[in-house]
Amino acid sequence: MRKLAAALLPVAAILAGADPLAAQTAAPHDISGYWELPVDGRFVPRARLSPRITPAMIEAEARKTTKAIRWCNWVGMPTTMDVGRPLNIRQGAREIVIMAESPVAPVRHLYLNRKTHIDKDTFDPTTSGDSIAHWEGDTLVVDTTGFEPTKGITEIPGGGFRTASAHLVERYRLLRNGTVLSVKFTWTDPSVFQTPHSYEFRYQRVEKGYEPWPYQLCDPFDQERAAFLEQRQ
Amino acid sequence: MPAGKKYDRYNSMLVVPVRMHHRFRALMWRHVMNARRVVVAAALLLATFIGSGGTAAGQQPEPPRVPDLSGGWLRLDSGSGSFDGTVAKHPPAELTAAGRSMVVPGDGRNLIPQGGFTGPAKQAGEAYIVNSGACTPEGTGGSAINPNSTAIFLLQSKDEVLMVREGPGGRRFYMDGRAHPDLAKLPPSMYGHSTGRYEGNALIVETVGLTEGNVQGGGKRRPETRLTERFELGSGGKRLTITYTWDDPVLYVRPHIYEYVFERLPEDSYAFETWCDASDPLQRQSIVPPKQQ
Repeated sequence: MRKLAAALLPVAAILAGADPLAAQTAAPHDISGYWELPVDGRFVPRARLSPRITPAMIEAEARKTTKAIRWCNWVGMPTTMDVGRPLNIRQGAREIVIMAESPVAPVRHLYLNRKTHIDKDTFDPTTSGDSIAHWEGDTLVVDTTGFEPTKGITEIPGGGFRTASAHLVERYRLLRNGTVLSVKFTWTDPSVFQTPHSYEFRYQRVEKGYEPWPYQLCDPFDQERAAFLEQRQ
Repeated sequence: MPAGKKYDRYNSMLVVPVRMHHRFRALMWRHVMNARRVVVAAALLLATFIGSGGTAAGQQPEPPRVPDLSGGWLRLDSGSGSFDGTVAKHPPAELTAAGRSMVVPGDGRNLIPQGGFTGPAKQAGEAYIVNSGACTPEGTGGSAINPNSTAIFLLQSKDEVLMVREGPGGRRFYMDGRAHPDLAKLPPSMYGHSTGRYEGNALIVETVGLTEGNVQGGGKRRPETRLTERFELGSGGKRLTITYTWDDPVLYVRPHIYEYVFERLPEDSYAFETWCDASDPLQRQSIVPPKQQ
Protein backbone atom coordinates (compact mmCIF):
# COMPACT_ATOMS: atom_id res chain seq x y z
CA MET A 1 0.00 0.00 0.00
CA ARG A 2 2.93 2.38 0.57
CA LYS A 3 3.88 1.98 -3.06
CA LEU A 4 0.30 2.67 -4.03
CA ALA A 5 0.24 5.82 -1.91
CA ALA A 6 3.52 7.02 -3.37
CA ALA A 7 2.23 6.46 -6.86
CA LEU A 8 -0.97 8.30 -6.08
CA LEU A 9 0.62 11.38 -4.60
CA PRO A 10 1.57 13.08 -7.87
CA VAL A 11 -1.84 12.24 -9.30
CA ALA A 12 -3.56 13.72 -6.30
CA ALA A 13 -1.34 16.77 -6.40
CA ILE A 14 -2.16 17.40 -10.03
CA LEU A 15 -5.86 16.89 -9.43
CA ALA A 16 -5.76 19.32 -6.56
CA GLY A 17 -3.72 21.86 -8.43
CA ALA A 18 -1.01 21.68 -5.79
CA ASP A 19 1.93 24.02 -5.85
CA PRO A 20 4.20 23.86 -8.90
CA LEU A 21 7.36 23.26 -6.90
CA ALA A 22 6.09 20.05 -5.37
CA ALA A 23 5.49 18.55 -8.79
CA GLN A 24 8.71 19.99 -10.10
CA THR A 25 10.99 18.64 -7.41
CA ALA A 26 9.45 15.20 -7.85
CA ALA A 27 10.66 15.16 -11.47
CA PRO A 28 13.10 12.36 -12.19
CA HIS A 29 15.46 14.62 -14.10
CA ASP A 30 16.84 17.83 -12.76
CA ILE A 31 20.10 19.47 -13.73
CA SER A 32 19.46 22.55 -11.61
CA GLY A 33 22.51 23.95 -9.89
CA TYR A 34 25.71 25.85 -10.43
CA TRP A 35 28.14 24.25 -12.85
CA GLU A 36 31.77 25.15 -13.41
CA LEU A 37 33.89 24.21 -16.40
CA PRO A 38 37.31 23.13 -15.12
CA VAL A 39 40.58 23.41 -17.03
CA ASP A 40 40.44 19.71 -17.89
CA GLY A 41 36.73 19.75 -18.73
CA ARG A 42 36.97 20.33 -22.48
CA PHE A 43 37.29 17.65 -25.14
CA VAL A 44 37.41 19.56 -28.40
CA PRO A 45 38.62 17.81 -31.55
CA ARG A 46 39.49 19.86 -34.61
CA ALA A 47 36.52 20.55 -36.87
CA ARG A 48 36.54 19.29 -40.47
CA LEU A 49 35.74 22.45 -42.33
CA SER A 50 34.12 22.59 -45.73
CA PRO A 51 36.56 23.30 -48.58
CA ARG A 52 34.54 26.44 -49.23
CA ILE A 53 35.80 27.97 -45.99
CA THR A 54 38.77 30.19 -46.85
CA PRO A 55 41.40 31.71 -44.54
CA ALA A 56 39.87 35.11 -45.28
CA MET A 57 36.49 33.92 -43.99
CA ILE A 58 38.10 32.58 -40.83
CA GLU A 59 39.95 35.87 -40.37
CA ALA A 60 36.70 37.79 -40.75
CA GLU A 61 35.10 35.73 -38.00
CA ALA A 62 38.10 36.37 -35.76
CA ARG A 63 37.66 40.10 -36.32
CA LYS A 64 34.04 39.79 -35.22
CA THR A 65 35.25 38.20 -32.00
CA THR A 66 37.72 41.00 -31.39
CA LYS A 67 35.07 43.62 -32.00
CA ALA A 68 32.51 41.87 -29.79
CA ILE A 69 34.94 41.68 -26.88
CA ARG A 70 36.13 45.26 -27.35
CA TRP A 71 32.60 46.70 -27.30
CA CYS A 72 31.06 44.41 -24.68
CA ASN A 73 28.61 42.95 -27.19
CA TRP A 74 26.41 40.04 -26.11
CA VAL A 75 28.56 37.02 -26.93
CA GLY A 76 25.83 34.44 -27.63
CA MET A 77 26.25 30.78 -28.44
CA PRO A 78 28.49 28.89 -28.13
CA THR A 79 30.55 31.25 -25.94
CA THR A 80 27.77 31.56 -23.35
CA MET A 81 28.59 27.99 -22.30
CA ASP A 82 32.23 28.85 -21.58
CA VAL A 83 32.64 32.28 -20.02
CA GLY A 84 35.13 31.27 -17.35
CA ARG A 85 32.63 31.44 -14.48
CA PRO A 86 29.94 28.99 -13.31
CA LEU A 87 26.67 28.54 -15.15
CA ASN A 88 23.48 28.80 -13.13
CA ILE A 89 21.07 26.23 -14.57
CA ARG A 90 17.51 26.20 -13.22
CA GLN A 91 14.84 23.80 -14.34
CA GLY A 92 11.17 24.63 -14.23
CA ALA A 93 8.07 22.99 -15.62
CA ARG A 94 7.95 25.07 -18.80
CA GLU A 95 11.60 25.76 -19.46
CA ILE A 96 15.18 25.45 -18.33
CA VAL A 97 17.07 28.70 -17.91
CA ILE A 98 20.85 28.92 -18.24
CA MET A 99 22.30 32.07 -16.79
CA ALA A 100 26.04 32.52 -17.24
CA GLU A 101 27.88 34.54 -14.65
CA SER A 102 28.82 37.20 -17.16
CA PRO A 103 27.57 40.67 -18.04
CA VAL A 104 27.76 39.90 -21.74
CA ALA A 105 26.29 36.40 -22.01
CA PRO A 106 22.56 36.43 -22.84
CA VAL A 107 20.32 34.21 -20.78
CA ARG A 108 19.42 30.98 -22.56
CA HIS A 109 15.85 29.67 -22.49
CA LEU A 110 15.45 25.97 -23.27
CA TYR A 111 11.74 25.36 -23.77
CA LEU A 112 10.33 22.10 -22.49
CA ASN A 113 6.75 23.00 -23.36
CA ARG A 114 6.92 22.86 -27.13
CA LYS A 115 8.20 20.32 -29.62
CA THR A 116 8.77 22.54 -32.63
CA HIS A 117 10.80 25.62 -33.31
CA ILE A 118 9.23 29.04 -33.72
CA ASP A 119 8.33 29.56 -37.35
CA LYS A 120 11.20 31.12 -39.31
CA ASP A 121 8.91 33.84 -40.59
CA THR A 122 8.17 34.82 -37.00
CA PHE A 123 11.44 34.32 -35.15
CA ASP A 124 14.06 37.03 -35.43
CA PRO A 125 17.45 35.27 -35.32
CA THR A 126 19.45 35.84 -32.13
CA THR A 127 22.90 35.06 -30.81
CA SER A 128 21.36 32.32 -28.64
CA GLY A 129 18.87 30.98 -31.19
CA ASP A 130 15.59 29.23 -30.45
CA SER A 131 16.06 26.21 -28.17
CA ILE A 132 13.61 23.40 -27.51
CA ALA A 133 14.36 20.56 -25.13
CA HIS A 134 13.11 17.14 -24.15
CA TRP A 135 14.29 14.16 -22.15
CA GLU A 136 15.43 10.93 -23.81
CA GLY A 137 16.00 8.54 -20.92
CA ASP A 138 18.60 10.15 -18.70
CA THR A 139 19.67 12.64 -21.36
CA LEU A 140 18.31 16.12 -21.93
CA VAL A 141 18.38 16.81 -25.65
CA VAL A 142 18.39 20.48 -26.65
CA ASP A 143 17.84 21.45 -30.26
CA THR A 144 18.69 24.98 -31.38
CA THR A 145 18.23 26.83 -34.66
CA GLY A 146 17.59 30.47 -35.55
CA PHE A 147 21.09 31.79 -35.02
CA GLU A 148 22.14 35.30 -35.93
CA PRO A 149 25.37 35.08 -37.98
CA THR A 150 26.86 38.56 -37.57
CA LYS A 151 26.53 39.46 -33.89
CA GLY A 152 28.57 38.52 -30.86
CA ILE A 153 31.26 35.86 -30.87
CA THR A 154 30.46 33.49 -33.71
CA GLU A 155 33.53 31.26 -33.50
CA ILE A 156 32.95 27.64 -32.49
CA PRO A 157 35.43 25.64 -30.38
CA GLY A 158 37.56 23.42 -32.63
CA GLY A 159 37.01 25.59 -35.70
CA GLY A 160 34.16 26.93 -37.75
CA PHE A 161 31.62 29.55 -36.87
CA ARG A 162 27.94 30.14 -36.27
CA THR A 163 25.84 30.94 -39.35
CA ALA A 164 22.15 31.42 -40.05
CA SER A 165 21.93 27.82 -41.24
CA ALA A 166 23.66 26.33 -38.18
CA HIS A 167 21.86 23.61 -36.24
CA LEU A 168 23.08 22.78 -32.75
CA VAL A 169 22.12 19.69 -30.76
CA GLU A 170 23.26 19.47 -27.14
CA ARG A 171 23.00 16.36 -25.01
CA TYR A 172 23.11 16.97 -21.24
CA ARG A 173 23.69 14.04 -18.92
CA LEU A 174 24.55 13.81 -15.25
CA LEU A 175 27.57 11.66 -14.40
CA ARG A 176 29.25 10.52 -11.21
CA ASN A 177 26.19 10.59 -9.02
CA GLY A 178 25.16 14.02 -10.23
CA THR A 179 28.44 15.76 -9.49
CA VAL A 180 29.44 16.10 -13.15
CA LEU A 181 27.34 17.43 -16.01
CA SER A 182 28.40 16.27 -19.46
CA VAL A 183 27.27 18.39 -22.39
CA LYS A 184 27.95 17.06 -25.88
CA PHE A 185 27.63 19.72 -28.54
CA THR A 186 27.08 18.81 -32.19
CA TRP A 187 27.00 21.52 -34.85
CA THR A 188 25.59 20.64 -38.23
CA ASP A 189 26.02 23.17 -41.01
CA PRO A 190 26.98 22.08 -44.53
CA SER A 191 28.02 25.62 -45.34
CA VAL A 192 30.80 25.38 -42.75
CA PHE A 193 31.49 21.75 -41.81
CA GLN A 194 32.20 18.69 -43.95
CA THR A 195 30.77 16.50 -41.24
CA PRO A 196 28.88 17.39 -38.06
CA HIS A 197 31.30 18.85 -35.54
CA SER A 198 31.06 17.45 -32.01
CA TYR A 199 32.84 18.27 -28.79
CA GLU A 200 32.16 17.75 -25.11
CA PHE A 201 32.35 19.92 -22.00
CA ARG A 202 32.22 18.35 -18.55
CA TYR A 203 31.11 20.74 -15.84
CA GLN A 204 31.64 20.16 -12.13
CA ARG A 205 28.79 20.86 -9.73
CA VAL A 206 29.62 23.81 -7.52
CA GLU A 207 29.13 23.25 -3.81
CA LYS A 208 25.70 23.95 -2.28
CA GLY A 209 25.34 27.45 -0.92
CA TYR A 210 27.53 28.97 -3.60
CA GLU A 211 26.71 32.55 -4.47
CA PRO A 212 27.94 34.28 -7.61
CA TRP A 213 30.13 37.22 -6.76
CA PRO A 214 28.91 40.48 -8.31
CA TYR A 215 30.76 40.68 -11.58
CA GLN A 216 32.53 43.69 -12.99
CA LEU A 217 30.39 45.40 -15.56
CA CYS A 218 31.92 45.46 -19.01
CA ASP A 219 32.75 49.06 -19.82
CA PRO A 220 33.35 49.79 -23.50
CA PHE A 221 34.32 53.37 -22.68
CA ASP A 222 37.13 52.41 -20.32
CA GLN A 223 40.07 53.79 -22.26
CA GLU A 224 42.71 51.76 -20.47
CA ARG A 225 40.81 48.58 -21.21
CA ALA A 226 40.30 49.65 -24.81
CA ALA A 227 44.01 50.30 -25.27
CA PHE A 228 44.82 46.88 -23.85
CA LEU A 229 42.38 45.12 -26.17
CA GLU A 230 43.38 47.05 -29.26
CA GLN A 231 46.90 45.67 -29.00
CA ARG A 232 45.42 42.43 -30.32
CA GLN A 233 44.19 43.90 -33.54
CA MET B 1 12.88 33.06 8.39
CA PRO B 2 15.03 30.45 10.17
CA ALA B 3 17.25 28.31 7.98
CA GLY B 4 15.51 25.16 6.78
CA LYS B 5 12.01 26.38 7.57
CA LYS B 6 10.90 26.25 3.98
CA TYR B 7 11.93 22.65 3.60
CA ASP B 8 9.88 21.70 6.62
CA ARG B 9 6.92 23.36 4.99
CA TYR B 10 7.37 21.52 1.76
CA ASN B 11 7.98 18.23 3.48
CA SER B 12 4.85 18.66 5.49
CA MET B 13 2.89 19.10 2.29
CA LEU B 14 4.10 15.74 1.11
CA VAL B 15 3.91 13.94 4.42
CA VAL B 16 0.42 14.90 5.51
CA PRO B 17 -1.43 12.95 2.81
CA VAL B 18 0.59 9.81 3.63
CA ARG B 19 -0.54 10.07 7.23
CA MET B 20 -4.11 10.30 6.04
CA HIS B 21 -3.54 7.32 3.84
CA HIS B 22 -2.93 5.17 6.94
CA ARG B 23 -6.07 6.57 8.46
CA PHE B 24 -8.38 5.54 5.66
CA ARG B 25 -6.53 2.34 4.71
CA ALA B 26 -8.48 0.06 7.09
CA LEU B 27 -11.75 1.60 6.07
CA MET B 28 -11.01 1.16 2.43
CA TRP B 29 -10.00 -2.49 2.70
CA ARG B 30 -13.08 -3.30 4.73
CA HIS B 31 -15.55 -2.00 2.19
CA VAL B 32 -13.83 -2.04 -1.17
CA MET B 33 -12.53 -5.21 -2.73
CA ASN B 34 -11.86 -4.08 -6.23
CA ALA B 35 -8.27 -2.82 -6.66
CA ARG B 36 -9.21 -0.39 -9.41
CA ARG B 37 -11.82 1.19 -7.17
CA VAL B 38 -9.19 1.47 -4.43
CA VAL B 39 -6.94 3.48 -6.73
CA VAL B 40 -9.69 5.82 -7.85
CA ALA B 41 -11.14 6.34 -4.41
CA ALA B 42 -7.76 6.90 -2.80
CA ALA B 43 -6.76 9.40 -5.44
CA LEU B 44 -9.98 11.32 -4.99
CA LEU B 45 -9.64 11.35 -1.23
CA LEU B 46 -6.06 12.54 -1.42
CA ALA B 47 -6.94 15.17 -3.95
CA THR B 48 -9.85 16.36 -1.86
CA PHE B 49 -7.69 16.52 1.23
CA ILE B 50 -4.88 18.43 -0.44
CA GLY B 51 -7.23 20.63 -2.38
CA SER B 52 -9.22 21.59 0.68
CA GLY B 53 -6.04 22.41 2.56
CA GLY B 54 -7.61 20.64 5.51
CA THR B 55 -5.66 19.99 8.65
CA ALA B 56 -6.43 17.24 11.06
CA ALA B 57 -6.41 18.04 14.75
CA GLY B 58 -2.89 18.33 16.12
CA GLN B 59 -1.28 18.68 12.73
CA GLN B 60 0.68 21.63 11.42
CA PRO B 61 -1.24 24.51 9.86
CA GLU B 62 -1.50 24.58 6.10
CA PRO B 63 1.79 25.49 4.45
CA PRO B 64 1.75 28.50 2.15
CA ARG B 65 0.50 27.65 -1.30
CA VAL B 66 3.26 28.38 -3.77
CA PRO B 67 1.86 30.68 -6.44
CA ASP B 68 2.69 29.73 -10.01
CA LEU B 69 4.66 32.79 -11.02
CA SER B 70 6.80 31.03 -13.61
CA GLY B 71 6.55 32.30 -17.13
CA GLY B 72 6.72 35.55 -19.05
CA TRP B 73 5.25 38.82 -17.82
CA LEU B 74 4.84 42.13 -19.59
CA ARG B 75 4.57 45.37 -17.64
CA LEU B 76 1.35 47.25 -18.20
CA ASP B 77 1.73 50.91 -19.03
CA SER B 78 -0.16 52.86 -16.41
CA GLY B 79 1.21 56.18 -17.54
CA SER B 80 0.99 58.48 -20.49
CA GLY B 81 2.77 56.26 -22.97
CA SER B 82 6.32 57.38 -22.21
CA PHE B 83 8.81 55.98 -19.74
CA ASP B 84 8.58 59.05 -17.55
CA GLY B 85 4.81 59.08 -17.71
CA THR B 86 4.57 55.73 -15.98
CA VAL B 87 6.92 56.82 -13.24
CA ALA B 88 4.96 60.04 -12.79
CA LYS B 89 2.03 57.97 -11.50
CA HIS B 90 4.07 56.73 -8.57
CA PRO B 91 3.68 58.53 -5.27
CA PRO B 92 6.66 60.81 -4.69
CA ALA B 93 9.29 59.65 -2.26
CA GLU B 94 9.51 61.57 0.98
CA LEU B 95 13.21 62.01 1.57
CA THR B 96 15.01 63.14 4.68
CA ALA B 97 17.50 65.98 4.47
CA ALA B 98 20.23 63.38 4.08
CA GLY B 99 18.26 61.71 1.32
CA ARG B 100 17.72 64.96 -0.52
CA SER B 101 21.37 65.88 -0.32
CA MET B 102 22.64 62.48 -1.36
CA VAL B 103 24.56 62.73 -4.61
CA VAL B 104 24.07 59.75 -6.87
CA PRO B 105 27.28 58.95 -8.70
CA GLY B 106 25.81 56.30 -10.98
CA ASP B 107 27.90 53.22 -11.55
CA GLY B 108 30.99 55.06 -12.67
CA ARG B 109 30.18 54.95 -16.37
CA ASN B 110 27.72 57.79 -16.52
CA LEU B 111 25.01 55.50 -17.86
CA ILE B 112 22.33 57.98 -17.01
CA PRO B 113 23.08 61.51 -18.17
CA GLN B 114 23.42 64.28 -15.62
CA GLY B 115 19.97 65.10 -14.32
CA GLY B 116 18.37 62.20 -16.14
CA PHE B 117 14.98 61.08 -14.80
CA THR B 118 14.93 63.83 -12.19
CA GLY B 119 12.98 66.48 -14.08
CA PRO B 120 9.30 66.65 -14.92
CA ALA B 121 7.77 64.03 -17.18
CA LYS B 122 8.57 64.59 -20.83
CA GLN B 123 5.84 65.50 -23.26
CA ALA B 124 4.94 63.16 -26.07
CA GLY B 125 7.13 63.94 -29.04
CA GLU B 126 9.79 65.60 -26.91
CA ALA B 127 13.27 64.22 -27.55
CA TYR B 128 15.61 63.45 -24.69
CA ILE B 129 18.77 61.47 -24.02
CA VAL B 130 18.25 58.37 -21.92
CA ASN B 131 21.71 56.85 -21.79
CA SER B 132 25.32 57.20 -22.76
CA GLY B 133 25.31 54.23 -25.13
CA ALA B 134 27.04 51.74 -22.88
CA CYS B 135 25.50 48.28 -22.69
CA THR B 136 24.62 46.79 -19.33
CA PRO B 137 23.19 43.37 -18.57
CA GLU B 138 19.75 44.93 -18.68
CA GLY B 139 20.31 46.92 -21.84
CA THR B 140 21.29 50.49 -22.24
CA GLY B 141 19.21 51.86 -19.41
CA GLY B 142 20.46 49.53 -16.73
CA SER B 143 17.08 49.13 -15.07
CA ALA B 144 18.03 46.05 -13.14
CA ILE B 145 15.38 46.27 -10.44
CA ASN B 146 12.44 48.05 -12.01
CA PRO B 147 11.29 46.27 -15.17
CA ASN B 148 10.99 48.43 -18.25
CA SER B 149 9.02 47.72 -21.40
CA THR B 150 10.78 44.43 -22.12
CA ALA B 151 9.27 41.28 -20.66
CA ILE B 152 10.43 39.65 -17.47
CA PHE B 153 10.62 35.90 -17.04
CA LEU B 154 10.27 34.17 -13.71
CA LEU B 155 11.43 30.64 -13.05
CA GLN B 156 10.73 28.98 -9.72
CA SER B 157 13.03 26.21 -8.59
CA LYS B 158 13.41 24.78 -5.13
CA ASP B 159 16.53 26.68 -4.13
CA GLU B 160 16.23 29.80 -6.24
CA VAL B 161 13.74 31.90 -8.11
CA LEU B 162 15.23 33.52 -11.18
CA MET B 163 13.98 36.78 -12.61
CA VAL B 164 15.55 37.28 -16.00
CA ARG B 165 15.05 39.71 -18.80
CA GLU B 166 15.73 39.61 -22.51
CA GLY B 167 19.47 40.13 -22.33
CA PRO B 168 22.37 38.98 -20.14
CA GLY B 169 22.22 38.66 -16.39
CA GLY B 170 19.28 38.48 -14.07
CA ARG B 171 18.21 38.45 -10.48
CA ARG B 172 18.35 35.40 -8.26
CA PHE B 173 16.26 35.09 -5.13
CA TYR B 174 17.71 32.58 -2.68
CA MET B 175 14.84 30.52 -1.28
CA ASP B 176 16.73 28.24 1.10
CA GLY B 177 16.42 30.42 4.17
CA ARG B 178 19.91 31.88 4.06
CA ALA B 179 20.52 35.32 5.52
CA HIS B 180 22.01 38.31 3.78
CA PRO B 181 25.78 38.45 4.09
CA ASP B 182 27.52 41.11 6.13
CA LEU B 183 27.19 44.26 4.07
CA ALA B 184 30.76 45.19 4.96
CA LYS B 185 31.90 42.15 2.97
CA LEU B 186 29.39 42.38 0.12
CA PRO B 187 30.43 44.50 -2.86
CA PRO B 188 27.43 46.64 -3.86
CA SER B 189 25.96 45.53 -7.17
CA MET B 190 23.15 46.37 -9.56
CA TYR B 191 21.18 43.32 -8.41
CA GLY B 192 22.15 43.34 -4.74
CA HIS B 193 21.60 40.27 -2.57
CA SER B 194 18.06 38.91 -2.54
CA THR B 195 16.39 36.33 -0.35
CA GLY B 196 12.85 35.13 -0.88
CA ARG B 197 10.09 33.29 0.89
CA TYR B 198 6.47 32.40 0.24
CA GLU B 199 3.99 34.04 2.56
CA GLY B 200 0.34 33.28 2.06
CA ASN B 201 -0.09 33.36 -1.69
CA ALA B 202 2.70 35.85 -2.24
CA LEU B 203 6.41 35.70 -2.93
CA ILE B 204 8.26 38.12 -0.68
CA VAL B 205 11.76 39.15 -1.75
CA GLU B 206 14.11 41.23 0.36
CA THR B 207 17.15 42.87 -1.20
CA VAL B 208 20.10 44.77 0.20
CA GLY B 209 23.56 45.55 -1.15
CA LEU B 210 22.46 47.61 -4.14
CA THR B 211 24.73 50.24 -5.60
CA GLU B 212 23.97 53.85 -4.82
CA GLY B 213 21.44 55.17 -7.26
CA ASN B 214 18.09 56.71 -8.00
CA VAL B 215 14.77 55.04 -7.29
CA GLN B 216 11.49 55.54 -9.15
CA GLY B 217 9.41 58.41 -7.87
CA GLY B 218 12.37 60.55 -6.81
CA GLY B 219 13.77 58.09 -4.32
CA LYS B 220 17.38 57.18 -3.60
CA ARG B 221 19.10 54.00 -2.58
CA ARG B 222 22.37 52.89 -1.04
CA PRO B 223 23.71 49.46 -0.06
CA GLU B 224 22.04 49.64 3.37
CA THR B 225 18.63 50.43 1.87
CA ARG B 226 16.24 47.50 2.16
CA LEU B 227 13.95 46.80 -0.76
CA THR B 228 11.00 44.49 -0.11
CA GLU B 229 9.08 43.26 -3.13
CA ARG B 230 5.76 41.48 -2.89
CA PHE B 231 4.79 39.38 -5.91
CA GLU B 232 1.07 38.61 -5.96
CA LEU B 233 -1.12 37.06 -8.61
CA GLY B 234 -4.52 38.39 -9.55
CA SER B 235 -7.22 37.89 -12.18
CA GLY B 236 -6.97 34.12 -11.95
CA GLY B 237 -3.22 34.13 -12.40
CA LYS B 238 -3.24 36.36 -15.46
CA ARG B 239 -2.02 39.47 -13.68
CA LEU B 240 1.00 39.96 -11.45
CA THR B 241 1.45 42.89 -9.12
CA ILE B 242 4.87 43.67 -7.72
CA THR B 243 4.75 46.09 -4.82
CA TYR B 244 8.05 47.79 -4.08
CA THR B 245 8.84 49.10 -0.62
CA TRP B 246 12.10 50.99 -0.16
CA ASP B 247 12.98 51.38 3.48
CA ASP B 248 15.91 53.30 4.87
CA PRO B 249 15.41 55.65 7.84
CA VAL B 250 18.48 57.61 6.83
CA LEU B 251 17.12 58.41 3.39
CA TYR B 252 13.33 58.25 3.77
CA VAL B 253 10.88 59.93 6.11
CA ARG B 254 8.64 56.92 5.58
CA PRO B 255 8.98 53.82 3.37
CA HIS B 256 8.62 54.64 -0.30
CA ILE B 257 6.00 52.37 -1.88
CA TYR B 258 4.82 51.93 -5.45
CA GLU B 259 3.72 49.05 -7.63
CA TYR B 260 3.84 47.72 -11.15
CA VAL B 261 1.24 45.49 -12.73
CA PHE B 262 2.11 42.86 -15.32
CA GLU B 263 0.13 40.75 -17.74
CA ARG B 264 0.99 37.08 -18.16
CA LEU B 265 2.31 36.23 -21.59
CA PRO B 266 0.67 33.33 -23.44
CA GLU B 267 1.94 29.85 -22.62
CA ASP B 268 3.58 29.49 -26.03
CA SER B 269 5.35 32.84 -25.96
CA TYR B 270 9.13 33.04 -25.78
CA ALA B 271 11.85 35.45 -24.72
CA PHE B 272 13.21 37.77 -27.33
CA GLU B 273 16.87 38.65 -27.12
CA THR B 274 17.74 42.30 -26.96
CA TRP B 275 20.81 43.56 -28.79
CA CYS B 276 23.15 46.26 -27.67
CA ASP B 277 26.25 47.54 -29.42
CA ALA B 278 28.10 50.39 -27.79
CA SER B 279 30.12 50.92 -30.96
CA ASP B 280 26.95 51.96 -32.76
CA PRO B 281 26.62 55.76 -32.54
CA LEU B 282 22.89 55.57 -33.23
CA GLN B 283 22.45 53.95 -29.88
CA ARG B 284 23.49 57.11 -28.07
CA GLN B 285 20.93 59.27 -29.77
CA SER B 286 17.71 60.50 -28.32
CA ILE B 287 14.51 58.61 -28.00
CA VAL B 288 11.48 60.38 -29.39
CA PRO B 289 8.31 58.96 -27.91
CA PRO B 290 5.62 58.60 -30.55
CA LYS B 291 2.87 61.15 -30.67
CA GLN B 292 -0.12 60.03 -28.66
CA GLN B 293 -3.45 59.58 -30.37
